[in-house]
Amino acid sequence: MSLSETVEVRKDLLTIDALSREEIIQILDTAQPFKELFTRSVKKVPTLRGKTVLNLFYEPSTRTRTSFEIAAKRLSADVTNFAVSTSSVVKGESILDTIDTLQAMQVDYMIVRHPASGVPEYIARNTHAAVINAGDGHHAHPTQALLDAFTFREVYPNMERKRIVVAGDILHSRVARSVFQVMNLLGVEIATFGPATLVPDTVPSYVTRLSSFEEVLEFDPHVLYLLRLQLERQKANFFPSMREYHNLYGVTIERFKLLRERGTWIMHPGPVNRGVELVDDVMTYSRCLINQQVENGIATRMAVLYHLTPEEQKRLPLPAEIRS
Amino acid sequence: MKAFVIQKALVVFPGVKNPVQKDVLVEDGIIRQIADSINVPKGVETLDASGKILLPGLCDPHVHLREPGREDSETIQSGSEAAIAGGYTQILAMPNTDPPIDTGGMVTYVQSMAQQRSRIPVSVAGCLTRGRQGDKLAEIADMAAQGAVMMTDCNHALQDEYVLRRALEYTKHFDVVVGVYPDTPALSGEGVMHEGKVSFQLGLQGIPAMAEEIAIERELRVARAVGGRIHIQNVSTGEGVASIRRFKSEGLDVTAETTPHHLLLNHHHLEGYHTRFKMMPPLRTEEDQAALLKGVKDGTLDMIATGHAPHTDFEKNFDFAHAPFGVTGLETALPALYTNLIKTGKLSWSELIKAMSEASRTLLKLDSISFAEGVAFEAILFDPTASNTISRETFQSRSFNSPWLGETLNGKVVQVFMGSDTLL
Repeated sequence: MSLSETVEVRKDLLTIDALSREEIIQILDTAQPFKELFTRSVKKVPTLRGKTVLNLFYEPSTRTRTSFEIAAKRLSADVTNFAVSTSSVVKGESILDTIDTLQAMQVDYMIVRHPASGVPEYIARNTHAAVINAGDGHHAHPTQALLDAFTFREVYPNMERKRIVVAGDILHSRVARSVFQVMNLLGVEIATFGPATLVPDTVPSYVTRLSSFEEVLEFDPHVLYLLRLQLERQKANFFPSMREYHNLYGVTIERFKLLRERGTWIMHPGPVNRGVELVDDVMTYSRCLINQQVENGIATRMAVLYHLTPEEQKRLPLPAEIRS
Repeated sequence: MKAFVIQKALVVFPGVKNPVQKDVLVEDGIIRQIADSINVPKGVETLDASGKILLPGLCDPHVHLREPGREDSETIQSGSEAAIAGGYTQILAMPNTDPPIDTGGMVTYVQSMAQQRSRIPVSVAGCLTRGRQGDKLAEIADMAAQGAVMMTDCNHALQDEYVLRRALEYTKHFDVVVGVYPDTPALSGEGVMHEGKVSFQLGLQGIPAMAEEIAIERELRVARAVGGRIHIQNVSTGEGVASIRRFKSEGLDVTAETTPHHLLLNHHHLEGYHTRFKMMPPLRTEEDQAALLKGVKDGTLDMIATGHAPHTDFEKNFDFAHAPFGVTGLETALPALYTNLIKTGKLSWSELIKAMSEASRTLLKLDSISFAEGVAFEAILFDPTASNTISRETFQSRSFNSPWLGETLNGKVVQVFMGSDTLL
């Protein structure tokens, strides 16, 4: 038996923790040549020609959807967007009804974004198509984490024992959960920084919880990863005001100076709330990786699409009248 | 005259830890003789029960029959047939129907429907407050006069402690028990599962254990202050058990129940986002499971009730956060408890019938079932060697939202006797 035969064929990408370290590295290594493609005048390869990729978004997200759309198109796939509003779903059609409909349309890849945790997994169990989780509830956002790892690796080719601080609303963040898993698998030391209301003690045991900016400086991260703060959290009393949040847990003008002196890299999954997670100046900082993350997102998502294998579709038999 | 002898049955007697092999002669629905060996009179049928367990008919004090209002998920008929298939000869119907059972007239209506459509007696619970809105007391005396034995708003919390206080005081004259579901809505909020490591990992909003712990403590304090008979439903936390134990030791007249699911399953079962494990209160931790079992064994938790809550496939096929809470239990309780607790020696048969027949019948103001000469025969025969694969086809219930769907359990109820009738 050759080595390639022993490698498990993967149908879906639902969470990072389903992947091994080797598999993650394989995906990141594949993303590299795809990224090099972008500098050419023709940015397209024929890999997925004749395949259908469906963006199934139950929650609006122009950025992520566009990133997947461009990734699929650069692989020559046919891409269709299918936007569903969750309110109509709860009232009438169940998720399963929708999936059965799409299944009948012989879709090969489904990119699923849903406001409720666990839905991509449920869909994956019920379709032959390869399912990519493009963010579900507070649960997981594996392609974001992979593109973050890719970006981190561009700066630090050897990620072992490097340090990252993930700052902000951990409790409600699918990005944080997936970033923890990918960084942990790649040997990065992880700490969090945020209000105690938003960093519960149920975070994985390999994550250190920091409680002040002084502790962040002491931890001395190579990368400070800022999470987007959902503004409605203030209403639910997770913190008293944006001002207090910014002063305690944001990158203020003073803190930015300290970080710049140390050469700390800044990452953020976007879109940023200026004046909350960070001040304006950070956006033009030479070590701010936010735009690289966006570019790498396309290459990484191409690698993920390339990596997955849909199940053989069971075609419906042709009606007798039109069978030859 | 109809007579038969059950031969070589392993009979479970109240208070006797292990079953004892006996022959039982039943004539016209009355036990005429129980002995080590009975000479079968001429013309009397025999039933070989070697290796099978004969136990009193079970009684479930927490069943949602869904009729009237949600007959797509269950009816009085399908629910009572599910009960028979699971070995129950008595159930208590919860009042959260649509319309709710909150008047004497509704109690009478459900009772008369049950008389026509159920082969086992159905006791009826009424709402504590009008329309289960949690604020204004329903006509408790009228419902009690029509035979309602418990007043409860099911999983709707009372508006505040004032309403509970007045309810407990008011019911004192009418010999009914007030059933409370222990929850603090401000803390459980929009949560969908137990708050802990698993809820964080799954990205699902948690229901902290303290939502129940505080509620139990609060409810028992009100009951101790003003009197009345209080029954705590669906206990799921170890701390909750500890509170009940303390109040009982101080002499408070309180009863409490837990469920087979909370005894046998925990929050790790939700890791695949399967909605058949979504229930309220949520499945808790392994430590809570152990504390609940201890509570059943030492009598702190008087009874095991299924909380049988049927939901249609359509509803349960929503995403985890939007699917309704609740699981069915009537047809799986006995085999699941046998497989996981009795077979493994963690619970004895006598402890089981105390929690699933004696205590719940007492709550419903019924005599315990005894196996003695001259007593009406109300019993079930359980074959512990039968393999029991739980599939959609095996259910009498209209709904399939069982946490044991697809599992193979040990043991099956093979006969149900009710007086001179054989129901199964």
